[in-house]
Amino acid sequence: MKFTVYHESRIGRRVNNEDRLGYCYSREALLMVVADGMGGHYYGEIAAQIAVQTLTAAFQREAQPKLSDPFMFLQKGFVNAHRAILDFAATHELADSPRTTCVGCLVQNNVAYWAHSGDSRLYMLRKGKVLARTKDHSRVQALVDQGVISEHQMPGHADRNKIYGCLGGQQSPEITYSRKMTMEAGDVLMLCTDGLWSGVAGDMLANAVKNTPLTRAIPSLMDSAESKGGPHADNLSALGVRWEDSYVDASSMISTKSMDRYSVTTKIQEFGRGQGQKTELSDEEIESAIEEIRATIQKYAP
Amino acid sequence: MAQQANHALPPGFQIDEYRIERQLSMGGFSIVYLATDAQGAKVAIKEYLPNTLALRTEGKTAPVISEDHLPAFRYGMKCFFEEGRTLAGLSHPNVIRVLNFFRANDTVYMVMEYEQGRTLQELIQKNSPSITENFLRNVFTRMLNGLREVHAHRLLHLDLKPSNIYMRNNHAPVLIDFGAARQTLACDTPMLKPMYTPGFASPEHYRQRDLLGPWSDIYSVGASMYACISGCTPLPADTRLENDRLEPAMVRWEGKYSDQLLETIDWCMCLNHRYRPQSVFALQKALTEVVATTPPLPPSPPKVTWLNQVVGKLKKSKN
Repeated sequence: MKFTVYHESRIGRRVNNEDRLGYCYSREALLMVVADGMGGHYYGEIAAQIAVQTLTAAFQREAQPKLSDPFMFLQKGFVNAHRAILDFAATHELADSPRTTCVGCLVQNNVAYWAHSGDSRLYMLRKGKVLARTKDHSRVQALVDQGVISEHQMPGHADRNKIYGCLGGQQSPEITYSRKMTMEAGDVLMLCTDGLWSGVAGDMLANAVKNTPLTRAIPSLMDSAESKGGPHADNLSALGVRWEDSYVDASSMISTKSMDRYSVTTKIQEFGRGQGQKTELSDEEIESAIEEIRATIQKYAP
Repeated sequence: MAQQANHALPPGFQIDEYRIERQLSMGGFSIVYLATDAQGAKVAIKEYLPNTLALRTEGKTAPVISEDHLPAFRYGMKCFFEEGRTLAGLSHPNVIRVLNFFRANDTVYMVMEYEQGRTLQELIQKNSPSITENFLRNVFTRMLNGLREVHAHRLLHLDLKPSNIYMRNNHAPVLIDFGAARQTLACDTPMLKPMYTPGFASPEHYRQRDLLGPWSDIYSVGASMYACISGCTPLPADTRLENDRLEPAMVRWEGKYSDQLLETIDWCMCLNHRYRPQSVFALQKALTEVVATTPPLPPSPPKVTWLNQVVGKLKKSKN
């Protein structure tokens, strides 16, 4: 199993980052999860964190080194995450349960399986084209399906925040599963939250990752989505994996051949506003720092 | 990850409005180039390129920065901006002037004035035996004018040493390389190791960074003067804290320089920060004090004064 993976989560212009993402892999299987805690509901970030942790914990237990039934694994993971969120609400006597969207994807034997609930998406990209993507559980997606609006009208639509699929909440979650998708070398699986996809159309995503390493493509996609979001830019997160690509430099390529049969490597974002975010310097901050220095130079120029 | 050397941009390379002439120096955090601007004037360009985080291979322009290193790379960039901000706000003949700041090749560049000359380090390596008392007092008093300006802006240089004091050909010293400079109030995130040079860094640099103050730069000034006379780097402060084997200037060069100058050097190099000159001004005062140029006389017998006579009588009566 060979792949490169890149993930990034930004707060946008919000006070809180309620997006959570995580991935883990064993010698023969890879799991990726992205969750977007729903604002307007309290503890959205906790719901998102619970979703990511529940799925990754299950993977750590069960991927030895493969999963016997990937779809079953995803189903159990999603439902257990949903229950864990309800448990959290009960333990803390919350009036309403926190909610989160969730998209999870499993790859083993060069086959991808995914499931989602809500409007966090997965795109499967091949040779500059969108091969497949998840269909949001949202009012606007329903309008597209009915032919009332076009796909391009989705991002700015007034009903954009009406989502009927999520983990947590009173109703049992609506979960949609993919088909089994076979992977080819160079394919990219991109999991992202609405903060990203509402700013960058699917074909743009496909184009951006076509010939560019994810380490460069994703940050620049984030940049453009963030600037499109303007002064109210939503949290935006992306987790992308390129399957066995020969273009990227070998240092960031992960090979699982040398891994022990029962070991699992996991990487999850830290809870809360991690230390990593504090020191990150966005492109805009760089530009404004340079502007500031230039202005000072002008001011003191003899 | 193994450290690899970064490749400098080749001569003739056009970047922004500047044309690279040659590489002047390469450090762990940056490369400095000699370049010419659009008007043909010579400038020095400092390129932010920490070699542990970003690697430029031969023939390439943009460095390769791995995903893992990007946060640290960006954090270091913050420090580089700090340096730019520090210098941009300072306008003093004894402090290097920043002319421009720009972004290119996935990193950032600082354009500074360039003048013919060499660092004090190069100078003392060539002329070590013939560093005169006058030269020392002259150079350091003028350099301290610049440092005073730095401190007046509530900034510390934090990496003062002979190789960061540039001597123009007219012998005017200029403070360069503010890579370690920090706003005294800004808190340090320990992501990149703080920069300092053993031998010139004060004890506070190593242990109690919250105690850093003007006296820390003053320790470095004392160590720089010590190095000018000895021709080599003094014993590092952390070693001195364990076992102070540094021979005081007063002992080592007695008779070769005035006691007052040697005492001033030892004063600056006190391990306890409170015993050093507390301000640049206090140090400048000591350096400009008029002293007899003749070697000091042996201690004269105590003068017989009215007071001494009384004290002597009292002492006797006590015995």
